[in-house]
Amino acid sequence: MTLAVLAVAPLCLPALGGALGGQVTTLFIYCILALGLNVMVGYTGLVHLGIASFFGIGAYLLAILTVPMYPFQIGFLPATAVAVLATAGIGLALGAPTLRLRGDYLAIVTLGFGEVAKVTLRNLEQITGGMKGLNPVPPPGAGVTIGGLDLGKEFAIDPRWFYYLALASLAGVVLLMRRLEGSRLGRALVAVREDELAAQAMGISATKVKLSAFAMSSAVAGLAGCLYAASLSTTADPNAYDFNRSIMVLCAVILGGLGSIPGTLLGVAILVGFDTVLAPWADSWIQQWNINPTGSSLLSFSGWRLAIFGLALVLVMRYRPAGLIPSRRMAAELHDAPEGH
Amino acid sequence: MADARRDSAANPAARNQSGKKAASASSSPLLDLEGITVRFGGLVAVSDLELDVEEGSIVSLIGPNGAGKTTAFNCVSGIYSPTSGSVRFRGKRLERAFTPGTILKALAVGLLTGLLFAAAAVDLDRLWMAVVKRGMITGEPFTASGAMERLRGYFRAELAIDQMAGKWRVVSADGSDVLAIKRDLALARLVRDGLQAKVTAWRTGPGTVPDASDLATTGDAAAASVVLPPVKDEVLDRLAAGKSRIRFRGWAGLFAGMLLGTTGTLAVWQRGRRSPHVVARAGISRTFQNIRLFSNMSVLENVLVGLDRTIPGGVLAMLLRTPANRRGEAEAKRRALAALDFVGLSGNANRIAGQLPYGDQRRLEIARALATGAQLLLLDEPAAGMNPSETGDLAGLIERIRASGVTVLLIEHHMNVVMRVSDRVAVLDHGTKIAEGTPAEVRRDEKVIEAYLGGEA
Repeated sequence: MTLAVLAVAPLCLPALGGALGGQVTTLFIYCILALGLNVMVGYTGLVHLGIASFFGIGAYLLAILTVPMYPFQIGFLPATAVAVLATAGIGLALGAPTLRLRGDYLAIVTLGFGEVAKVTLRNLEQITGGMKGLNPVPPPGAGVTIGGLDLGKEFAIDPRWFYYLALASLAGVVLLMRRLEGSRLGRALVAVREDELAAQAMGISATKVKLSAFAMSSAVAGLAGCLYAASLSTTADPNAYDFNRSIMVLCAVILGGLGSIPGTLLGVAILVGFDTVLAPWADSWIQQWNINPTGSSLLSFSGWRLAIFGLALVLVMRYRPAGLIPSRRMAAELHDAPEGH
Repeated sequence: MADARRDSAANPAARNQSGKKAASASSSPLLDLEGITVRFGGLVAVSDLELDVEEGSIVSLIGPNGAGKTTAFNCVSGIYSPTSGSVRFRGKRLERAFTPGTILKALAVGLLTGLLFAAAAVDLDRLWMAVVKRGMITGEPFTASGAMERLRGYFRAELAIDQMAGKWRVVSADGSDVLAIKRDLALARLVRDGLQAKVTAWRTGPGTVPDASDLATTGDAAAASVVLPPVKDEVLDRLAAGKSRIRFRGWAGLFAGMLLGTTGTLAVWQRGRRSPHVVARAGISRTFQNIRLFSNMSVLENVLVGLDRTIPGGVLAMLLRTPANRRGEAEAKRRALAALDFVGLSGNANRIAGQLPYGDQRRLEIARALATGAQLLLLDEPAAGMNPSETGDLAGLIERIRASGVTVLLIEHHMNVVMRVSDRVAVLDHGTKIAEGTPAEVRRDEKVIEAYLGGEA
């Protein structure tokens, strides 16, 4: 239902053809990223503070494989496939040696990895262009013509093409996550979160399960990174993939409800939507009415964004500690808490 | 065989026959503990424990608190490794086998680590510049063979040409030394060749420095007229040493990485050799003294986790929902419901496990353990906290489990359960086995009475 509304929306709302369309597209991309993080944090209960690094690695891999500066230029779809597989591989490489860590220790390792990845991207100047980043990343479908329609040009002109591409990717990821939840692996992930020793005693290899979580999480984040770089037509600089972004996505997942797909989507819609859609809109409104002629940050909406952001988190944690839309399992846990503990 | 056994969890009567037959046929014990000793620092939890469990029997392990019963269980189920002694199941040690695959996997990880180290040692950034970027500047099409040639050139530390502000520069392989700047590409190439010959000669021996006339022998008329820019001796030294330096770095990185990666993988493999999941897959399953259910999952899901291995297909099959995967899921669900029915929890399938009453949680743990297809079930105080009527039901359940062909090793404090169901009873006290025999024998044993009631001091 929601999908149908979102699919029809651009046709009815002309605003989505403009800047707003681009902002909503970014929102969809963050939703994909958050769903990827949810595999690790929500289902498997492994704290991951470096998801943005995989987002960045995906973006850079896509850029390396498509920018005119390098000889590869293999096109958006093959490049995305390669980037997703490669980020999954990097996720495995990070996961394999760190699997025996739990809780805080794993959080520190992923945090460290995020910083290492950022600095590496910045310092491999010959490969990644350092602080300049790689650009221009050609739009998806560049050079592809279907029925007289130059897809590359269409993507460049009309943000609705990207809107649909991001929406379709998001729908695909949601479908895969649904299937994961109901599958053998999904149960194994949750079982490892609930009680690792008991899961092992049932013949489940915790190592394999956690590695799968690492790989899936990284791959989905890599996909989000590919879409992000293509939609901006640049990788932006490595600082765009820093700790702040990881924390923002993690907050969105926690706010919405750990392990819950609709919760994660809502969390992103609120936190990231606030940042990318509402704040610019309110700012332009303030400017339009000339409320803030001196440009004081106290009177601009985005000057207050971190305060509002924090307040929202505090309120949610106070009144709905399991998140806005808790997963069925988490809801049970909290319901059970008064008698069980 | 395993499938047949699981199926019959639903109708134990049919199993009764084959279970008994298997028991009488086998001569060696199903589980064989030999001289198991477990020390935690200076504390001896279990000392030199010998225990045989015959297939199809119910053996109880009893003793006062702290006697080492659960420690012995943890040894069997792979949670602890015994300090000394061996656990054999069907005559085999419960360890992951050391196969050629183990070595191959370790070598693959080692190779990957080695490549990573080597990439860092030879400076991946400059390597990329030399191989990819220099291939783009001359306007010639980028080919794989050209890239390979430049890759080799980098590791031979050959002089190369790059572009800066519209001019062609002759540079060292890593781009750190600029030797000449020319407007014309063809001229820059000639200078490069000439300088390269000079560097090569500098490396191979003194006194063989070629001048322009040497180049004429290549047959290129233009080469003869090229005037080579002067190069300082120390720069020549550096350039000449470049080849061995880059090669040494590459090999050293590769070797160090491979050594670390391979030995590390093997070390971790060795430590995880006796992990609980290996034991569980071999056919030993257990319940825990302090119930360890997946308390936020539904009752059905708990049992399905036990059936995990019966469902075919990898990640892709699960995400695509292939027919085989769907059939596997449906079949697993049917078996899970049968297992719940077997322990008397039918009708509770969709409840959250953590919300079940205590006794039901214990029974769910048994259903989950049985679902793994275990041939040996370890029950750690299943009757703890149960009232007399529940205890009676539990004894009945244990007997039905045995009747379905599963051997049971039991830790229990409720003596009426132990005496009713056990074929043999072993008594532990302070980590040592003080008695073993039929329930009747053990009951009369003086050492046992002393352990439980205290000796006359």
